[in-house]
Amino acid sequence: MNNKIKTCVIGSYPVLTDAMELMNGYFNGKEIPWDKYIQYAVSDMVNAGLDIVSDGQTRDPFIQIFTRKLKGCRIRARTEIIGKVEYNAPITIKDQKYARSLIPDDKELTGVLTGPYTLSKSCIDLYYNDEKDLAFDFAHALKQEAKVLQKHVDMISIDEPFFSNEIPDYGKELIEIITKDISCPTRLHACGNVSDIISELLEMPVDILSHEFKASPQIFDAFKDYTFPQKICLGVVRSDDTRVESVEEIMDHTKKGMRIFGEKIVQLAPDCGQKLLPRDVAFQKLKNLVKVGEKING
Amino acid sequence: MFSFTKEQEILEISGTKIGGQPGVYPTVLFGGMFFKGEPDCETAEKYLNNMLDLSKRTGNPAIPDFFIRKEEYIEEITNFIERVLPENQPFSIDVTDPQVKVRILECLHEKNFLSRTIYNSIHVGITDEEREALTKYTPEMAIIVAFNPKDKSPDGKIEVLENGAHLTDIGLLDISKNLGIKKILIDTAALAPGDNTGAAIAAIPVIKEEYGLPTGCAIHNVVEKSKWLNDFESARKTVDASSNVNISLFGGDFAIFGPIGNADIVFPTVAWQDILISEYTENYFGISPDEHHPRRKLF
Repeated sequence: MNNKIKTCVIGSYPVLTDAMELMNGYFNGKEIPWDKYIQYAVSDMVNAGLDIVSDGQTRDPFIQIFTRKLKGCRIRARTEIIGKVEYNAPITIKDQKYARSLIPDDKELTGVLTGPYTLSKSCIDLYYNDEKDLAFDFAHALKQEAKVLQKHVDMISIDEPFFSNEIPDYGKELIEIITKDISCPTRLHACGNVSDIISELLEMPVDILSHEFKASPQIFDAFKDYTFPQKICLGVVRSDDTRVESVEEIMDHTKKGMRIFGEKIVQLAPDCGQKLLPRDVAFQKLKNLVKVGEKING
Repeated sequence: MFSFTKEQEILEISGTKIGGQPGVYPTVLFGGMFFKGEPDCETAEKYLNNMLDLSKRTGNPAIPDFFIRKEEYIEEITNFIERVLPENQPFSIDVTDPQVKVRILECLHEKNFLSRTIYNSIHVGITDEEREALTKYTPEMAIIVAFNPKDKSPDGKIEVLENGAHLTDIGLLDISKNLGIKKILIDTAALAPGDNTGAAIAAIPVIKEEYGLPTGCAIHNVVEKSKWLNDFESARKTVDASSNVNISLFGGDFAIFGPIGNADIVFPTVAWQDILISEYTENYFGISPDEHHPRRKLF
């Protein structure tokens, strides 16, 4: 990685799905392609000027994207585990390849994996009766996806929001299963106030740590006591608030981060996935974020 | 041969009962009218009377399913309903255009038909205007089409009923209940040939066991779209009609069997299947058929 601070997303981006069009497809016996929704998300990210874009995770909430395709899972009101969780076939690759085809050569693409601990905590377990075994099988399945994904993306980001509640004593092992021998940079995103678990997060075998520094600025202080090898992806705009932060506000926040982390900051991003924001708000937040990136990078 | 452990709802609309354990009530048969759009009332009346006669002879309740493709056809079709349908005959309206849906609900209310109306259908494409109209002019009964574009398996159909597969704000069951619709039928959304078609049949017992609601589908849609059957054109009508027996065989309660012109083959075919089911469910589970069941016609 060079010294440029890259602007990027965490993963999801809001798109409005035309459910009536999908129904008309059903009535007329025609499959309606999903590509246009990926295109909406990717084109917004590219037009906002981001350096690193994602496929927008438009198809499903971040749990179902994976559980819909993994063996042993079935989705009803929630995902239920009804058998041994195993990798079946590529999950996100088709959308990533399509996203890649949409972006200019000078832009990068991040793959996004929902972490094994978060997946295990989000499902109704009707099979394992052992949270740890379930989490490890998710990790091994995600490893298979990561091995394919690394050929198509410039970074793999692992989304583990449940780490902010607790990191199990096997949390590092779970992440290690996925990141070991992966050739592209890896990032761990854990949202929420992670102040109390910084020491455990710093044990994680990833290149970049990503947190909600904007919504939880107390995280800045929590990092002060540590030296660590990972780089930082700095959350600079909120993902849970429709107020669009001004360029000045984002700049102040970024400078605060730079004072604390110095050159460890390699990415500026929204605090979390933007799926729950209105599309125009999400876009404007990204635009302002990019303006700050441009100013800082000169 | 099976019976459901979940208690099964038996719904009634204008004297027609639908639902329950296999072997009690006959399969309700929906015959489509005005498929082509512009209503041909003279021909339709003949077909309708024939279907109602078949219903009397077999014991399988008949529901005329009125396709209304354009707003301009509403008046003619509702006049037809008023003029030709027996006073207590329930019927369904089969409309895809959301604007036409809103208008027909108003019209059915004005003509005092809503107590006989089966609304076909509620699905993930429901609009705010449609919700408003359904709240204001609530039909007696509605069909939910459990089509999930993200997952065509039986579980995917449950997902869309439970949470709309995140294409709607809440699940289709809750949407329907919140609109004030008390009598709900589930259509398991038969898909094009080769596109997980069997799931529509497999989903029938799954959904009945999960919710106890009357369930069925329009398996005819699959046959209609089959290119494979082009090589066996003379068998198409037979395949079409006989496909419906899968519904009752798998515990289903209704078949939306396609054009009303197919009634001559569909009614005796499905009635015969209902008779067989009634025989073995009575022998094994001790379930007696309803007094209007086709099997009673044999006694």
